[in-house]
Amino acid sequence: MRMTGMKDTDNRKEGLVSEDEMSAAKFCIDYAIGAGASQARVSLNKSVLDSFSVLNGSLDKVMHSADRSIFLYLFADGRYGTFSTNILDRESLGRFVTKALETVRMLAPDGFRRLPSPERTAKDAITGTETGLYDSSYHRIAAEERLSSALSGTIFREETCGNAGFRLISEECEYSDSIDDNYTIDSQGFSGRHTETSFAFCSEMTISDRKGDRYSGYWWEASPAAMRQDLKECSRSALERAVRQIGPKRHRSGRFNMITDSNVSSRLVSPLFSALNATAIQQKNSFLAESLGRQVFTDRLTILDLARTPGKPGSRYYDTEGVATKDGPVIENGVIKEYFTNTYIAGKTGMEPTVESVSRPVLMPAFPGGRGSCLDSAEKRVSLQDLMNECGDGIYVCGFNGGNCNPVTGDFSYGIEGFAFKGGRITHPVKEMLVTGNMVRLWNNLVAAGSDARGCTRWQIPSLAFAGVDFSA
Amino acid sequence: MDKRYFLETFHVTEPQMERLIAAALSHGGDYADLYFEYSTYNDLLLRDGEVSSGGFHIDFGTGIRTLKEEKTGYAYSENTDMDDMTAAAKAASVIAQGDNCGRSRTASSPVSGHVCRDGLYPMAVAWRDSAASSFLPFLKRLETGIFSKDTRVVKVSAKLSYSQSDIMMFNSYGELTCDTRPLGSITASVIFSHNGRNENKTVSRSFRMGAEMVTDTIIDEMISEAVSGIDERFEARRPKGGRMPVVMGAGASGILLHESMGHSFEADFNRKGQSVFSGRIGERICPAGINIVDDGTIRYNRGACNYDDEGIPGQKTYMVTDGVLTSYLHDRVSARWYGTAPTGNGRRESFRFNPIPRMRATYMENGTVPKEDIIGSVKKGIYVDEFSNGQVKIGEGDFTFYVKSGRMIENGILTAPVKDINIIGNGPQALAGITAVGNDLKIDNGTWTCGKDQSAAVSCGIPTVLIDCLTVGGE
Repeated sequence: MRMTGMKDTDNRKEGLVSEDEMSAAKFCIDYAIGAGASQARVSLNKSVLDSFSVLNGSLDKVMHSADRSIFLYLFADGRYGTFSTNILDRESLGRFVTKALETVRMLAPDGFRRLPSPERTAKDAITGTETGLYDSSYHRIAAEERLSSALSGTIFREETCGNAGFRLISEECEYSDSIDDNYTIDSQGFSGRHTETSFAFCSEMTISDRKGDRYSGYWWEASPAAMRQDLKECSRSALERAVRQIGPKRHRSGRFNMITDSNVSSRLVSPLFSALNATAIQQKNSFLAESLGRQVFTDRLTILDLARTPGKPGSRYYDTEGVATKDGPVIENGVIKEYFTNTYIAGKTGMEPTVESVSRPVLMPAFPGGRGSCLDSAEKRVSLQDLMNECGDGIYVCGFNGGNCNPVTGDFSYGIEGFAFKGGRITHPVKEMLVTGNMVRLWNNLVAAGSDARGCTRWQIPSLAFAGVDFSA
Repeated sequence: MDKRYFLETFHVTEPQMERLIAAALSHGGDYADLYFEYSTYNDLLLRDGEVSSGGFHIDFGTGIRTLKEEKTGYAYSENTDMDDMTAAAKAASVIAQGDNCGRSRTASSPVSGHVCRDGLYPMAVAWRDSAASSFLPFLKRLETGIFSKDTRVVKVSAKLSYSQSDIMMFNSYGELTCDTRPLGSITASVIFSHNGRNENKTVSRSFRMGAEMVTDTIIDEMISEAVSGIDERFEARRPKGGRMPVVMGAGASGILLHESMGHSFEADFNRKGQSVFSGRIGERICPAGINIVDDGTIRYNRGACNYDDEGIPGQKTYMVTDGVLTSYLHDRVSARWYGTAPTGNGRRESFRFNPIPRMRATYMENGTVPKEDIIGSVKKGIYVDEFSNGQVKIGEGDFTFYVKSGRMIENGILTAPVKDINIIGNGPQALAGITAVGNDLKIDNGTWTCGKDQSAAVSCGIPTVLIDCLTVGGE
């Protein structure tokens, strides 16, 4: 089928942001300073996304998205405000900056609002391609190829499941590719560029068993470079994940070992990063206040922020403020090594400024007896099965259903889906189960961490094993 | 505002819109529509005693959709230049080149149900005409009021967010629809400290209303609510988890309806056979006497819609009537598939998204049982009345919601306070397990936002309800 009407992105070799758009960003800085602002930062974001969705083997939805917007961070008379617009002609931008300045001047002064000092900003994000997340072949992809990729991943018409104890009700697949280009400058001379492409395929399967009960399974693949693999495998994984849930049993409540699959472990790490944010700490909205430099967790827990690993999703050379990222520990052997402290909070609290937030966290493998402690040893590999063997019995969590974590206390409660396991072997899917506890206690009960984080994710969090976790059912 | 205002705002004429529709249908689609949006968003944040940050954001663009049977082509332009919009229209039109395996249906669906044509959210004071500085004293009043009510308060952050959206829709039936939508939200987050322990509480109010919503009255209401129940929060413990009767307090417990059945009643999931309620129209799904509605016609409500985002007038839709499943929530696509009228639930986050079936204000109508009798009937269970979030698995029907506060029930009496627990259940079983419905329906006017692929402002409500058994998290 010939797809016409879809305009391919132009032939520019690198990124999306044009010279004229860069000039528009500079115009905003100059206009703001000329109108009396003391400092300003402009972040210009431009992106294009194309997606082709397939329902039950047939094309169901085509979407083309193209966005660009300017964010203006404005400092004037000791005051500060943030503004954005997607109307970029110069006349409109002039009105936009003027009105932004009026708004800033209405706010209360706050002497700690300022740009980061120039020596802290990145100097090496010049072309946008330094992080190795940009595949220039993106610009050569034709609409026909996108459609072909989307259709190549469907297994709906070949799937015969009449004798397998289930019926395939629906299959939804989506191929998408995108390019995101950020150009950030400030009035102190900082200039940064970050460009990345992304290619993704996802599949969701809904099946019913012989009783008519429905189950769904989801899987995805993503890469900053064009994908070459057989996308049908993605759909087969989604189907397998749906089928394995058939026949869940209600498990008893109690305190068990818990293993979280690498696909979902980040759910338990996220509250730690929220609590390590200096703004939350300053606002007394963190359960990790006054923990910097202290051993809070088991020495088995080490999380590094490896922001500067070219080619790996999540890498970036500068944060929202333009501050240069660097590789280093966030938590090392259970000791808190970093609060994420922006320029404003650093000034307000006297804390050392760092980057605003984590970029590419990597939770290091750990295993009882020291295996995994040697990071460049082949024996450090710790598989999901290793974790199951170590724990013996417990609950293997493959998904979270709702729930939350209280940021002040660290108390959490989540719905889970997964399986009971015994003697290191999965026995049956569990039904309507909850896990409840406290983040500090949970992470002190970390038994082991695998080495199976998925390469396609920004957060490198492997499968994890915990002891003594409260489950309700 | 009249049609001319919208045409001028978007710099287009009706003949130009007709040409765009023609471009969107150039490959044989059977329906197309245009969605023009000009939105301004403002926010003001008070922290550490001062409103020292804030800003505004402008969003402008046109979304163009082509339908071929149930298949969707969608593209948008961030300006209303005819060349760019025509390129978007042609991009959307390619869907009609896909294979034709769907069933052919008539495109037009007459609108049915209760239709509200007068404005649901007229602004006495337009947000765009209001100086942001006029709101600063209210945020300050909120902060000082909370501090003055409880000596354990150590931090207050207060935020006012408001937006005004001009929306113009035009479709291949030649229907032109215009709407101006205000939305204002006030939120206060409070940290309390007592004997070395910290606790938090968040209160909010949100209405589709102009700047007149910001009054001393609403601020004082929020002050009282922010400091109520804090003694209990410091005393609260996790209960012993397990399965038990759950009494859902009136108001915010409407999250139960949103998660346990609202999403499962959205017709896109049912059209694809994915919902646990697929194919069950006409079946009894809960006890007789229970009516559950999704209502876009509540004046000034966060979920109110003069028109949905497909130009269908706002309506009140009975999903469950006397315990029987009577309607799904439809957009034009699913309505055509089911051969019924759209219910005004085709909503979208912005011009960047195609509309899909979404809830508005979802609630259960009153029953007859006094709240005290419902609590009094429970020998051992839990009462819950404050929530933060929820989720559902559409196929399995398993839903959860996170409880910020509640109490244990022992021998018909509310006893020890509880907090920070998740509750899980199965939608069809929970609905069938409703054994009492109170007479105290309350709509909650918090900042409820639904996140099904796109963000949508919604609200919810419920009278006090007893469910015979759900699984409660605990230690």
